[in-house]
Amino acid sequence: MKNKSMFKRVDNVTGYVLLAPWLVGFVGMWLIPAFISIYYSFTNFNLLNTPEFVGFANYVRAFTQDKTFVKALTVTFLYVLALVPLRLIFALFVAMLLNKKHKCLGLYRTLYYVPSIIGGSIAVSIVWKQIFGNKGVVMTLLSLVGIEQKTSFLGNPKTALAVIVLMGVWQFGSSMLIFLSALKQIPNSLYESAMVDGSGQVNTFFKITLPMLTPTIFFNLILQIINGFRVFTESYVITDGGPLDSTLSYVLYLYRRAFTYFDMGYSCALAWILVAIIAVFTVIIFKTQNNWVYYESEGK
Amino acid sequence: MKKSMKRLTALGMAAAMALSMTGCGGKTEDTATAGSTDTTAAGNGGTAESAGEPVTLKITWWGGQSRHDYTQKLLDVYTESHPNVTFEAIPSGWDGYFEKLATQAASGSMPDIVQMDYLYISTYAKNDSLADLQPYIDDGTIDVSGIDENLLNSGKIDGKMNGLVLTSSYAAMGYNPDVLTEAGVEMPDSSWTWDDFSDICKTVKDKTGKYGSLAYGVVDDTNLFKYWVRQYGTELFAEDNKSLGYEDDQVYVDYLNMWNGLIEAGAVPNPDEHAQIQALGQEAGPVVTGDGAFIFEWNNYASKMSGVNAGLKEVTPPQKADSDSKGLWMKPGMFFSVAETSTVKKEAAEFIDWFINSEEVNDIIMAERGTPVSADIRDYMVNSGKLTDQQKAMFEAVNADQALCGTTPAPDPAGISEVNEAFKNTAYEVFYGQTTPEEAAARFRTQADEILARNNE
Repeated sequence: MKNKSMFKRVDNVTGYVLLAPWLVGFVGMWLIPAFISIYYSFTNFNLLNTPEFVGFANYVRAFTQDKTFVKALTVTFLYVLALVPLRLIFALFVAMLLNKKHKCLGLYRTLYYVPSIIGGSIAVSIVWKQIFGNKGVVMTLLSLVGIEQKTSFLGNPKTALAVIVLMGVWQFGSSMLIFLSALKQIPNSLYESAMVDGSGQVNTFFKITLPMLTPTIFFNLILQIINGFRVFTESYVITDGGPLDSTLSYVLYLYRRAFTYFDMGYSCALAWILVAIIAVFTVIIFKTQNNWVYYESEGK
Repeated sequence: MKKSMKRLTALGMAAAMALSMTGCGGKTEDTATAGSTDTTAAGNGGTAESAGEPVTLKITWWGGQSRHDYTQKLLDVYTESHPNVTFEAIPSGWDGYFEKLATQAASGSMPDIVQMDYLYISTYAKNDSLADLQPYIDDGTIDVSGIDENLLNSGKIDGKMNGLVLTSSYAAMGYNPDVLTEAGVEMPDSSWTWDDFSDICKTVKDKTGKYGSLAYGVVDDTNLFKYWVRQYGTELFAEDNKSLGYEDDQVYVDYLNMWNGLIEAGAVPNPDEHAQIQALGQEAGPVVTGDGAFIFEWNNYASKMSGVNAGLKEVTPPQKADSDSKGLWMKPGMFFSVAETSTVKKEAAEFIDWFINSEEVNDIIMAERGTPVSADIRDYMVNSGKLTDQQKAMFEAVNADQALCGTTPAPDPAGISEVNEAFKNTAYEVFYGQTTPEEAAARFRTQADEILARNNE
């Protein structure tokens, strides 16, 4: 008995030692700054001064005076609303294609995952800018077939956000991989009996595949919503929030407030408002899961 | 098990507290002992110099690749003659430079020597981030005898010398003479008006299909607009910096109408084309490549670009037809400031003195940073015979154009980058046809006044 607890203890220590590097990073680079930012959000901190306490003034200012805040929030909501369904549908579609037996399957899987690895990078954003910008590839190709654009897709306030969304959809890899592994876990017996019963492909997809995937969809949905709200690189590098703030994402605005306008206290308040928004969304989706998510083990 | 968990948590919390306490502690200490640090640093510096104690100076600047290259060379030259001084150079482009500096300042790790701009110096000065250089001027470490007093005092804010001015510059229109010749128009001189300018731009567009002028910098910040406003006999910002200085919104409406007309005529790139041009970088911009006539810039433009196109010329910006107000002003080009947190202020000051007054230095810089502030150095440069034609023209024009310059306005107020953003957005709304110039001008006033009032309480 005594021996056993000794072993357990040694095991625990090993665990903590292994965990330590991450823990140090987490506490030092995340937890402490996060708590300090709560404090800053109630001050007039401008990076250089000694912060003075201002109560809820920053929060009140965001909701009552700041039109750019409303604009950035609208842009981000639109982005998430368009991106998440499109990306999930596309990821599922590709996952289904890759779930078949094929010679070069391994290669395809790797290739389709590549955009997700490099997609968030500065380099790809710059390439994207060249493709969709003024005198870029798209504009040139369109003019070859006789469509003359006055402004490029990125230069037009009405279409710029769509280009950013498209780039997001293109980074479907991680959702695809999760879907793929879930697809593999659907027991073959279900498909076999469906076939015996004469179910068509479409019917089988909606009656078997989709319900069996709902836990995975649920998981991907939450993950992607959280990710979507945090969009920064694309709007920072490709459009710098423009034209006319039409791609000004919430995090880009927050960054500008902090480091361009030296408005750190207010920026911290914006950050915590975003945390609250994401939390609300996550809770809502969790609440709805009883209505649409099917867990096989339930009721057995 | 439980006990060890507890211990671990306690340890973690202690560590967290210690960390956060040093964070706060550092800040208060800085402000509390700011005055006394000066003297000790100077004292230490003196001993370090005589004993040749090794010191490392951290220095940061913004600029293009050529500036990075020769500045690094300068630092090496300095180390050769001062073997105890080594440098840690942190070069950067203009983009992101001040974002990074703000973070460094906040964490107390600001480099010892900082290249500073007129745009931000008051923000840093207001928050006591910069050392007072006056003691080093007084004790002769920095020789300022060759510097015009007005220009020197542009670094003085609230009685403190927050930065030593390195260069002076003033607004100018850079142009490509070949494009003008191709369009069959005469080269402009200082007496030209905005109407002349618009006409030439349209002629260039009609005759050659090229851009008459680039809107580059015209609405992305408020520099040219400041010049515009001054021609109406008033200033862009009120004296107390809490609101705009001009009273009639028509000033801005006129400005927008002029540019919008040129954009609609295709003589100036629309915002979309402008974004693409900007991404090319100035060295590959239309005026340099011969695809555009004018660019609004500073008077070091032709000399700065001489490496890629030696044929570029410049002229003072157009004047308002019926105005005799002097819109131009001598702008302090850039400063060297020393961080308040620096422990090697004396060495930093010695380096700055060398940078400003040494002929050796200026042989290497060749006015790339703008016209040197020291009159002695300017004379030396003109007589040295090393200057290119563009540089010589620039040095000589300074004397002639001085007559067109009015008083130098106060440094830009705190909150200027936010004002610039509001300015840009309202102008772009007009260029995109989403609002009228009148509405845009009114909206800019509301926003700018709010920003200025908030930042300059």
